[in-house]
Amino acid sequence: MIWAIAKKELLQLRRDPRLIALIVAMPLILLILFGLALKLEPENIKMAYLDEDKSFFSMMVDTKLWQEGYFDTYKVDSLDSLIEEIRSGRAKAGLHIKSDFSYKLMENKQPHITFYVDGTMPSLTTAMKYNSSTITESDVTSQMYFLDANASNVVIAKTPFIMDTEILFNPDEKETWFFLPGVIGVLIMQIALILTGISVVREKEKHTLEQLLVTPMSKVSFVIGKLLPYIVIALIDFYLILGVGWYFFELPAPASQLALLLLAIIYVSVMIAMGLLISLVSKTQQQAMFIAIFIIVPSILLSGFIFPLEAIPEYIRPISYLIPFTYFVEIIRGLLIKHTLVSDLLQSYLLLFSFVVLYVVLSILVFKKRI
Amino acid sequence: MIKVSGLVKTFSKVNVVNNLSFEIGDGTIFGLLGPNGAGKTTLIRMMCGILKSDAGEVSINGLSVEKAKQHFGYVSQSFGQYEELTVWENIRFYAQMYGVNNTKKLDFLLSRYNLSKYRDFLAGTLSGGYKRRLALACALAHDPSVLFLDEPTAGIDPVTRKLLWDDFYALSMEGKTLFITTHYMEEAQRCNELAFLALGNIVAKGTPKTIKKALGNIKLYTVEIDYTPLITEYLSGIDGIILLNQFGDELRIMVRAEFRISAIEEILKDKLNSTNKLQEGSANLEDVFIALTQESNS
Repeated sequence: MIWAIAKKELLQLRRDPRLIALIVAMPLILLILFGLALKLEPENIKMAYLDEDKSFFSMMVDTKLWQEGYFDTYKVDSLDSLIEEIRSGRAKAGLHIKSDFSYKLMENKQPHITFYVDGTMPSLTTAMKYNSSTITESDVTSQMYFLDANASNVVIAKTPFIMDTEILFNPDEKETWFFLPGVIGVLIMQIALILTGISVVREKEKHTLEQLLVTPMSKVSFVIGKLLPYIVIALIDFYLILGVGWYFFELPAPASQLALLLLAIIYVSVMIAMGLLISLVSKTQQQAMFIAIFIIVPSILLSGFIFPLEAIPEYIRPISYLIPFTYFVEIIRGLLIKHTLVSDLLQSYLLLFSFVVLYVVLSILVFKKRI
Repeated sequence: MIKVSGLVKTFSKVNVVNNLSFEIGDGTIFGLLGPNGAGKTTLIRMMCGILKSDAGEVSINGLSVEKAKQHFGYVSQSFGQYEELTVWENIRFYAQMYGVNNTKKLDFLLSRYNLSKYRDFLAGTLSGGYKRRLALACALAHDPSVLFLDEPTAGIDPVTRKLLWDDFYALSMEGKTLFITTHYMEEAQRCNELAFLALGNIVAKGTPKTIKKALGNIKLYTVEIDYTPLITEYLSGIDGIILLNQFGDELRIMVRAEFRISAIEEILKDKLNSTNKLQEGSANLEDVFIALTQESNS
């Protein structure tokens, strides 16, 4: 009897080739993708470089950084703009060499240079701190000792200059600050995709869609009418989760509540529209569930939520930019933790919004074509 | 007025509906009869705009299906209402889909179908018969002039079936055209007009009384005899016999008019030891249905 039931289950599975493709091919594709993509060691991290000394010695520091290939430096002209570059997300790190650097070096007064790090991503912060130490390696510093041949009993410091590290935005390196904003996005993604993912398939399976299709209802009304209530529900959920984050985990308040609301509306709309699209292309509720799961997992791993985007090889990074969650993570960290200017996040807002348009248009087209 | 011209639908290179053309006048109860897989549901789904045809046209009251949606209602084979909504919420919803907000009219529809007492019941908790009534009420919420009913009484007890048919007649009297698919003979018998669909083609059309002419010049005989597989063995191969239909202890034999009936009597006597005489009767709709199905399959 057990054997008969097991055999029947296998037969049923065999008759759903799309499901077989999902359960066999998708894990393999994802494993290969993650195998290639997931690395903790970032490369070519954008670094804003402020050299007020402009001497041979300060150039040596820059050259060393450039040679290592770990940081991709570009020049800025003031400390304010250096910080702003990091706040906007254009740079993840910054290096400030003051104008008296070479003077103090020559006087053996151990000048300080300051290394600024974006603290919103602890794994990246740690990696950057570790890698920045190459600046103080002996092949750089050995050329920086100045000895007066006539002087006696001169105490020369062990290192010619000292590098201070300043962690911006998340000075205590709180991991909750880093994780929670993204977690909110993951939870909303799960709720939205599962909630909407089955909405149309269920109507197909229960034959209510057939009854709806004979009415004068337009396909656009159907898609928009399906989206709206779920968007409101997911929006309420968004603030509920965020409220808990604020209350229990001391998540910082955003620079602009309006910008946060805008993000919430756009993100929730993207996820609900994506769920609807999944529902429209799926033939069964089971298929819809699997597609949703296979979207959620790479979204979490390739979006910069856990692993820094900078650590994802460049040939795979375009996939990260095709994931809406990537933009959400960037914007919400910017709004809550870094207080990035909305104007600097505008591009991400627009890209996130373009997914809403894309999914809604695709949903209408699929609905018109398939049903 | 429903007009179908040159309608074609092909699935996997097989013509499920094969170049069909027919017209149905106002107030007619039109029955589309056919065995399972004949193309009945495909045809009705195309006529309602749920399925796109590969070729041909359907017009309802002179309008294309897309433009005529306010003119017709549809009751699908399976329960197409929302089980999680109450009876009232369902009928309200479907009325709103047609822009109807007159709640008095909807209340009248509920009472017409004895649903008033179940107004606040969840649709999923209704019995099969009441689910059908709710489906009908929802389809009539916008007072259409044409009603498409796909096997409307399948799985319904005879009493409810009769009640529903009384209502179909009443709707027809109101001037509404009813297009009904069925494979119940009793139901087909009640229609004003019938078309017999087999393998996507209309093989016979007419009133329940005249449709048997599709079989040409035939005669039907009955004989009292208990069922035995030997009957089929001895009689089925004989040229001129169109149908053998055992009905309890009665065997119904349809033959071509020129067939020599004594040949059957001899077989019954010699091989089945039956001396009962063959009696001439008249073919009923079921005989015609089975004969036409066999003919189109052969």
